[in-house]
This record gives sequence, C-alpha cells and structure tokens, in this order.
Amino acid sequence: MSKYFEIRWHGRGGQGTVTGAKSLAEAVQGTGKHVSAFPDYGPERRGAPLRAFNRFSDGKIRIHTPVLEPNVILIVDPTLIGAKDIEKGVNDETVFIVNTEKSPAETKKALELDGQALFTVPANKISYKLFNREIPNSAMMGAFTKACPDVISLEALLKQARHIFSHVLAEHLVDMNIEAIKCGYDEVQK
Amino acid sequence: MPKNVAITGNGAMAEAMRQINPDVVAAFPITPSTQVIEDFAKFVNDGKVDTELITVESEHSAMSACIGASAAGGRVMTATSSNGMALMWEMLYIAASMRQPVLMTLVNRAMSAPINIHCDHGDSMGARDAGWIQIYAENHQEAYDNMIMAPVIGENMDVRLPVMVCMDGFLISHSVETMQIEDDQQVSEFVGEKVPLNSLFDTDKPVSWGALDLQDYYIEHRRGQLEAMYKAKSVIEDVSKRFAEQFGRKYDLFESYRLEDAERVIVAINSVAGELKEVVDELREQGEKVGLLKIRVFRPFPYEDISKALEGCKIVTVMDRSTSMGAYGPLFGEISNALYNLEDRPLLYNRTYGLGGREMLLDDLKDVFQESKDYLNNGKVEKIFDFLKVRGA
Amino acid sequence: MSDKYRLKNWQELPFGGVITEGGNAADYETGTWRTWRPVWKEENCIHCLTCWVFCPENAFALKDGKTPGGKDRKEIREIDYFYCKGCGLCAKECPVNKKGKKEAVEFIREET
Repeated sequence: MSKYFEIRWHGRGGQGTVTGAKSLAEAVQGTGKHVSAFPDYGPERRGAPLRAFNRFSDGKIRIHTPVLEPNVILIVDPTLIGAKDIEKGVNDETVFIVNTEKSPAETKKALELDGQALFTVPANKISYKLFNREIPNSAMMGAFTKACPDVISLEALLKQARHIFSHVLAEHLVDMNIEAIKCGYDEVQK
Repeated sequence: MPKNVAITGNGAMAEAMRQINPDVVAAFPITPSTQVIEDFAKFVNDGKVDTELITVESEHSAMSACIGASAAGGRVMTATSSNGMALMWEMLYIAASMRQPVLMTLVNRAMSAPINIHCDHGDSMGARDAGWIQIYAENHQEAYDNMIMAPVIGENMDVRLPVMVCMDGFLISHSVETMQIEDDQQVSEFVGEKVPLNSLFDTDKPVSWGALDLQDYYIEHRRGQLEAMYKAKSVIEDVSKRFAEQFGRKYDLFESYRLEDAERVIVAINSVAGELKEVVDELREQGEKVGLLKIRVFRPFPYEDISKALEGCKIVTVMDRSTSMGAYGPLFGEISNALYNLEDRPLLYNRTYGLGGREMLLDDLKDVFQESKDYLNNGKVEKIFDFLKVRGA
Repeated sequence: MSDKYRLKNWQELPFGGVITEGGNAADYETGTWRTWRPVWKEENCIHCLTCWVFCPENAFALKDGKTPGGKDRKEIREIDYFYCKGCGLCAKECPVNKKGKKEAVEFIREET
C-alpha cells in the first residue's frame, strides 16, 4: 500500500471529471494537507473514457505516477460500470463511489465486488435537476465526503468549495454547485 | 504573506512572472506551456502587472521581440515548449551571444515528428549549446523557486545571460500540487530591478547592437561569453544561498539524495527524481546502498562538483529523457566527462526513458536499480546504452 | 592606426559585441583601397552636390557659399582622399561630365 491516500476517478471527457479531481484537491489542500491532482494525459475527446487521480498526505508528495492501488474509486459515469480497467489494483479496503440511480446491491453485483464498501449517488439526476445538463462532479464531491469524512468533512468541503468556485464561476453558479455538493451528500446510499 | 496553494506547474510559473512583474512579455503559446501565458495575460488584463504583453505571430518573433526589449533595457520573459522553442532556434543563440538576460519558462515536451505533446527533454537538450543557463526542476515548488532566482542570476553584471527554467510537460505543468507561493513584496525585493547595460533607450549614449564580427573578433567574443558561463556557476550558488536565507528552501547545483555511502547511483533530471527518491528510500530500508544525483543546473555544467559527489560509488546509471540520435544521451556524455579523470572510476552506463511521455512507474525504476545490482555483482556493464520500456527490445 | 584599433583581448571587449561609440566609421581609412582617383575641377563645377549625394564614403567635404544670384548654398570644398576609395561614382553621376563638353570630376589612374 502506498503511504499516500489515493483516489482514482473514472469518467468521460466533457463531464468535468478532471476539474472534479482538481477541485477536490484544492478543497483538501485548504484543510492543511498536501495534495496532488492530475489526469491520464491522453487526447481530450468528449465521451472518451478517462482517468484522473488524487493523492492526499500529511507530508510532501513526491511521486507523479498514476494511482495503481486506489483507496477510493469514483465512477463518474454509470456507463463505465463493468469497464475492464476499473478493477485494476482494487483490494478489500478499496471504497467505491458510483454515480448511478441503481441500488448499492445491484451496483455491487454489476461490479462483481467481493464485499468492498460501495456508495451510490444519483449524481446525473442531481446535475440535471440543477443545471439541466450532465456535470456530475460537484455531486460526486458531496458523495465523497459522505463516504470519506476523515479526509474532508462536509462543512470543510462546502467552505473550501465556495472559495474555489468563486474564483472561476459566476455567483449563481457557485450557489448551484454548492447545492449540488449538498444533494450529493444527502442522496448517498450505502 | 506566503501561502500554501494547490496549483498547476504552469499556474505557479505565471505566479512567479506576476511577482517578478517584467517590463515586457512576448510569447506565442504552445502546449503544454500555454497556460503560463494565458494566466499571465489575465494578470495583464486585470492590471496586476505593469507588463507590456506582445502577442506575436510566431516563436521566432517572440524571441526576437524579447531580445529587442531586453536590449532596450527591459526585464523580459517568455514561455514555450518543444517545436515552439525550435522555431526560436537562431534567436536563442542571438539572445545569449548578445548577452541579453531574457527569462524563459521551458515546459519540456517531445520534439516532432510524430507529433507528441508529452514530456521528454529533447527540446531543452537540443538547445544546450545555445548559451543559455539551464536550470531544471523536479516539481512545482522548484520550478517556481528557480524562476524567482532566474532574474537575479541572469541579470548579474558578471553573467548577463539568458536563463531557461525547465520543468516537465504535463507531469508538472498540468498537475495540481501543493506548494508555497511567497509574499509578493518579499519576492519583489529579492529579484530587485534590472540594471540596464548599454540600453537602446539611453539616447545620451547611443549604441549599436548586433554588429558583424569577422575572423578578427568572433572567437574573442565567444571566449568572453564562455567566461560569463563560468562565472554563472558561483553566481547561481550565491543566489541560491540568498534564496535559502530568505525563503528557507536550499538548492545546490545538483541534489545529492542519500549519496554519502551509496554504491549504486542513478543520475537523472526533473520529475522522475521524485519517484526515484521514493524508490531509493524503499531500497535503503532493505539495506541496499543506493542513491540519487539529481541535476539542477545543466548549463553551466558542474563537472568537478559532480565528480566529487560520485567519487567512491561503484556503479552509476545515467537516465536520459532525450536521445541524441547516433550518440549516447546528452546527460550521459556530461557525467562521463565528469568521471573520466577520477582514478577509481565507477562502472557507468546509460538508459534512455520516457520519450514522448512514456511513463516510468515505481516498479520500472526498481528494475533499473536491480539491473545495476546485477552489473555490479558481475563486475561489468553488459549494455552501455539501451532504451527502457520500449516494445520489441 | 591609433591604439583605438589595436586588436583587443577578449577581456577588453564590451558585453555582447555592442558598439558603444557612434560614427566610428569616420576613423576608418578607405583611401587605401584606391587604384583610380577622382580629381575635382573647381572651375567646371556647378555645385549641384550630386557627387556628395552619391559618394558612399562621404569623401566630398562641403563649405558655405552663394549662388550667382546671391543666395546661401553649400558648395564642394574638396575631396578627402583619406576616405575616397576610387569607386568613380562621382565622375559617373556628375551632370557636367554627362553633357560631355567638359569635366567637373576627372577620373584618372593612380600613379604607379
């Protein structure tokens, strides 16, 4: 096991997965931890499967290689459930957070898990409700803090996210993204 | 106030540029260095800097504008990568030979063809003879720190040479990492003002720049330029010391990582050093006497210091992230030069890795150390030169 | 040649090959290149200054003078053979020479 807390995001180009990883890193950084965030730097194509990574640590992070044995796997797009490379490096402790409207039991079965912890969140539904389009990353961040409150609490995430989003988004969009984080948190099922 | 931030490498370089507040920036953005100029353009637009941003029609023009603005007396910066720097080619030499301390962020990217936007060091290594000071960085913090030091080094009156601050494309430029951005005022005081020398704007003392040299003077001018490079070495050491005193982070011409009693050493440049440190720590825990020498300053190259640092080790693996077609790697050549005059030379060989962004995982690097162990046990190097992680090997 | 034009050691050169003195071409003797010599004939000259305009080495020296009508004008004073490299452009372009009756600039071989 790595000495870092490691996350692997599986998403598709255009859904904001990389932005999600970066925003989460910035938020966790705001709590005083060392962080890193980066994608697999492939060609950027809308709809193509992609991976993004986070490392969190109390000390300096020295490595830049892709996360091979993640503590947490975030599946940002439901159609990626069952994709081959998702199970790579999974162990008994790996936590799954999946964007799906299906139940945890169904999702576990679809992913053929051996009893790893799994959380589901209907992030697309939340995203459609708020933005009328599919950008599930804020809801995924909300679900993440429900699944891993030790890494960052909901309060800390909301505080940091407001700060981070306000640099890049208009005020009403900041509010909507904050709402998406809350909905993501609230609608998690285990 | 200094602040810890999670920021991309490019973003960190733009922050350094904002704090340096150059008179002129001329650039033609190219992946993966684009964001440096994008971010900086925002600073210009928002009035956070006093810079004249010149958007030119090519990299050749960018460097030309930099040289002109620098000769006019300004502090001048730019950023580029790969083919972009290749298009600056003749102007790189002219900047150096006209002794213009232009400051460049070079985000290392593979040279075409085939087109590839990912990291290797083919661009900066190709420009190693152009007369620029080359400083390399393992991570975001080092890249930023090097850039803060760059004007103080390049504009030193004994030096007056352009400085290229290199960092790995994507691996550093595009990843978000925790680092410390220093206080604006402190950085501003550290970098100071550029003292113009024979400025074109000094109308009381008109000068001609870029005149002709024939057989009677060219070699003397080149010799003088070389002297500046020699002097740059101690200036870099002095500036790094001053930087450590003010900001607390210590830098030498190269970093010796667990070298004291090391038998097997890898020499490498830039981000892979992070992974190598991790691997060295792990192997050390298993009792293996391994170490890392990470190059920071490639030009001027500190031959004697490196030879001293590697004296006593038994085998050295030089990892080049670029290839000089038909020759051994450029870094290998330098290390080989540095070691030749040692009485008790270590075994020495060269591995090329990571061209066009081919990833090196921790296990891959452990394999490299394993190979050096095998060579050492056999008492000889089987293959002096080879590619790592290439299919069909 | 003055010490100014002694070939200097690398330590003595200004940074980057910059030339810090203006107009130093004036110190350069191009007169040594001359194998043909223009000779100015004051008596035939109309002071149109065509030779002065065309001379690539600025070898025609001027003085203040008056037109036949009494207006101020510049006139040719002499050819400065320190600079004249004997290209013959002055003789070729001289409008008096072109008319063909007489010469204001005679172009002759240097004596050997």
